[in-house]
Amino acid sequence: MAARKILLVDDSETILQMEQMILAKEPYELFVARDGVEGVARALECSPDLILMDVVMPRMGGFEALRELRGNHLTSTVPVVMVTTKAEADSIETGYASGCSDYIVKPIDSMELIAKVRDLMGD
Amino acid sequence: MLPLSTLTPSSTETSERATAYVHPGEVFVSARSHAVTTILGSCVAVCLWDPTTRIGGLNHFLLPSFTGQGLASPRFGNVAIKELVAQLAQLGSQRHNLLAKIFGGACVLEAFRQRQHHLGMKNVEVARHLLECESIPLVSHDVGGQRGRKLIFHTDDGAAWVKTL
Repeated sequence: MAARKILLVDDSETILQMEQMILAKEPYELFVARDGVEGVARALECSPDLILMDVVMPRMGGFEALRELRGNHLTSTVPVVMVTTKAEADSIETGYASGCSDYIVKPIDSMELIAKVRDLMGD
Repeated sequence: MLPLSTLTPSSTETSERATAYVHPGEVFVSARSHAVTTILGSCVAVCLWDPTTRIGGLNHFLLPSFTGQGLASPRFGNVAIKELVAQLAQLGSQRHNLLAKIFGGACVLEAFRQRQHHLGMKNVEVARHLLECESIPLVSHDVGGQRGRKLIFHTDDGAAWVKTL
């Protein structure tokens, strides 16, 4: 059976590496994108089962990318977890209005990330 | 059960209160009147208040139980609830007066909502169980479902408003 896929979208190489490190032992195939534009394009290419999406990114932010994903029938139902900072937490209401599935707050806690990912992957 | 409004409190209802925002993994308590906001997905907030002393607070936890790995923080339900009860006691609340409300525990995916043990429901279960162990009456709740929630809780009188997101 093909491994299920997770798309990590973040402009921070550190965050991407951390997410990859935390999820390395899980049975998922990981894909990365470094801004919202690339994130939407990668999502259409690789059809992920879950997306972890940063909020503030160059070219296209996470909320706008989320709206693009929700507006496309190919990605409209993919669970998207917004990865926010405490300073952005107030705006997570916008994320829900745009169709996000859940959110986590940086600094990323490995147990929390794994628990949310497993839950949204049905494991 | 006390009524649970789905309306946003009016400006007059919040104007006399200080405001606060509780992030995931935090505990907030106050002996002053506060309107506390938090946003919940699969996470759960347990709100406690003492109607006599008007001391109250809430937590916002992400995972059901600390199992010994890593740091025992209020990110875990069992730690967050004990911490909330302890902090309220430090402020002068009377344990036997405490009342509780629980919010959150959503499961956004239709396919998984049928599972009895999705993360949101596990969080709700641990909250119910620990409140029962602490003999704190649960007077109201708004849990489960498929949508996130914005919660505003008044620490002095226990009033709560939920907006489905």
